[in-house]
Amino acid sequence: MIQFARTCKLTVALLAALPLCAHAAEAPKHLDVKQLSRKVDDVVVPLPNEVFGALNKLGGVNWREYVRNDKGSNFTERPRIALLLGAVIADGFIAVQAEDAPTVKEIGQRVLALAKGIGVGNSITPHAKAITEAADKRNWTSVRQELDRTQNSVQQAMNEVHDEKLSQLVSLGGWLRGTEVLTAVVNKRYSEDGAELLHQPDLLSYFETRLQSMPEFNLKLLQDIHGALIEVRPLIDVGEAHISPASVKKINEITTRLGDAITKKSP
Amino acid sequence: MTASFKLTKAANILLACLFAFVPVAPASVDDAQSFALQAAEPYVKEGFQVREDYWGGDLAAGEKKAVRQQLFKGNEYWFWLGSEIETAKVSVHVYDSDGKLVEQPDGWQKGHFAAAHVIPKNTGSYFVIVEIEKSPEERTHWALVYGFR
Repeated sequence: MIQFARTCKLTVALLAALPLCAHAAEAPKHLDVKQLSRKVDDVVVPLPNEVFGALNKLGGVNWREYVRNDKGSNFTERPRIALLLGAVIADGFIAVQAEDAPTVKEIGQRVLALAKGIGVGNSITPHAKAITEAADKRNWTSVRQELDRTQNSVQQAMNEVHDEKLSQLVSLGGWLRGTEVLTAVVNKRYSEDGAELLHQPDLLSYFETRLQSMPEFNLKLLQDIHGALIEVRPLIDVGEAHISPASVKKINEITTRLGDAITKKSP
Repeated sequence: MTASFKLTKAANILLACLFAFVPVAPASVDDAQSFALQAAEPYVKEGFQVREDYWGGDLAAGEKKAVRQQLFKGNEYWFWLGSEIETAKVSVHVYDSDGKLVEQPDGWQKGHFAAAHVIPKNTGSYFVIVEIEKSPEERTHWALVYGFR
């Protein structure tokens, strides 16, 4: 056991020293991207807190304004639960930014309930517990890590039972909620750097393509989201130009409308 | 004492024989991921949040794979590549959407570990290129993880 611990320590020490003794081989300064584009994997969907972190560095965000306590409706349709699950996990990241421990704990329980509703509750139980414990200790780094683990476990569990499309809807729900809050913050205090965080055309294409491949869900909400993404595209795909305050406002209106539709039952 | 020693010796021989016939589980992308995460470990102490999600697969020696990644200006990123084949040599480099190399000079490469450091000047799509430069195996598993702060 002692020998094992020693070996572990040695491995960690060696890895820590790697950057000191290793050098990157000379890489080509340029690549032919057009040739490459045909061979690339799908884009990886960033976590909402990646964009929140960047936004936070621009300063002046009162995250408490964006904390959402509304538990949302209870749905029976699995695609709707998946979308809501993604949005609620994103709400968890917002509550962490606001350092709002009671809301973080509520969100942990809400995520567990939604995961159970979709049949992947078992994979989430330990994470929900860890979220509560870390929120009690106000250990925000751990809460962020656990929220990431939660999303990853949900999606892995879905993928294992070949529910990849639901897994993609979890990502989409999180991305929409993240974009809603990003645009709300930038709309309130516009800056070109803040608006530039919306420059995500490949993610938009990714979600558009994924939604097109889900005709079996036959859900009006998914059709509405698809239509909205098409509406958003020209507003963010502006090349070298800046994304204007009017575009930020428009994207906020669109994503707020979708956010309401994701959380509430239509009359 | 002698009997006990003999018994232990016999048990050890039996165990050794048993293990000799137990098929070794084939290496997987998960093994490669654990090496990538080992490479990331020292950076966690520097405040990098390492994503749970990762990419992985297998490549032949000399083969490359491109992964598209959305990066946000204002954040700082490290990408860590690992393989379970300890005699393999791997590399990772990051290019912007115009195909220009954008990584910082402190990226590194050491055998079956490699890392690239990026502080994006613009928000947008980037290409992460992974390569198995050398390997004694026909196909070599790789895994790429990333962290940001």
